[in-house]
Amino acid sequence: MSLELREGELLPDLVKNPTTRQLVQYAGASGDFYQIHYDQEFARATGLPYVILHGLLKAGFLAQLITSAVGSGGILRSFEVTYRGIDLPGRACRCRGLVTAVTDGIAELEVWTEDPGGTRTTIGKATVQMPEAEAAAE
Amino acid sequence: MGEPSLMERVKSRIGWRGEEQVNLVEAGHVRRFCEAIGDDDPRWLKEAPPTFVVALGTETPQIPEALEYGKGWLNGGDRFEYLEPIRIGDEIRTRTVLTDVYEKQGGSGGLLFLIFDTEYVNQHDRVAVRVRGTRIRR
Repeated sequence: MSLELREGELLPDLVKNPTTRQLVQYAGASGDFYQIHYDQEFARATGLPYVILHGLLKAGFLAQLITSAVGSGGILRSFEVTYRGIDLPGRACRCRGLVTAVTDGIAELEVWTEDPGGTRTTIGKATVQMPEAEAAAE
Repeated sequence: MGEPSLMERVKSRIGWRGEEQVNLVEAGHVRRFCEAIGDDDPRWLKEAPPTFVVALGTETPQIPEALEYGKGWLNGGDRFEYLEPIRIGDEIRTRTVLTDVYEKQGGSGGLLFLIFDTEYVNQHDRVAVRVRGTRIRR
């Protein structure tokens, strides 16, 4: 399914319910074995309340938000994220996005993750090149 | 002249280059990465999803001088620039360079920012993806 990206349009929300099991899966698949993501004592010793999500796992969630909304016709050109707050397993991580501009077949998106309190824990931007046919039709 | 400060010693590492790594993009690896994120788009049976490249590199390069600063690592952000898709079966060469180091004062003490740039070059000698990662010691 491909969404027609129009300025001001919200992408369909993607809600993730990460678990510690998922953090271990991501550690193994990504090769990031930093212990703050699966060793509770280690995480606490560095000042964290509990093990936390990998920033790049949240980036993966946001990339999924974008590619599932855009479909295979749109080409992701750039994607950037800033990790502003921690996310914990056992708490929902809501991925959201907004089309901020569409110019010459290039859509600009703002994307973010929200914790259950509505705080934006990851913020980011992306640019997507829209399919040729749509660009030509303008 | 006195001993160089920790910041001077960390800054002297700007330009540090990691070992070149060559990795084949394996179907099973991409599948496990997608399972960890929870992205079951069939598109990823042939192609790597946008953040997969991080699994082809290493963990945050362990610059010894940086480890003397603070208690642990935080991930500040990541920027991806996509030039070509990465497909299953591609052979990807990567090398990471430390391009900048700076210090900021945070609410609970100093933060050391390290900027790492990595290029992912395919078997056709074309850069497929560039990633800029911001890693923080605190």
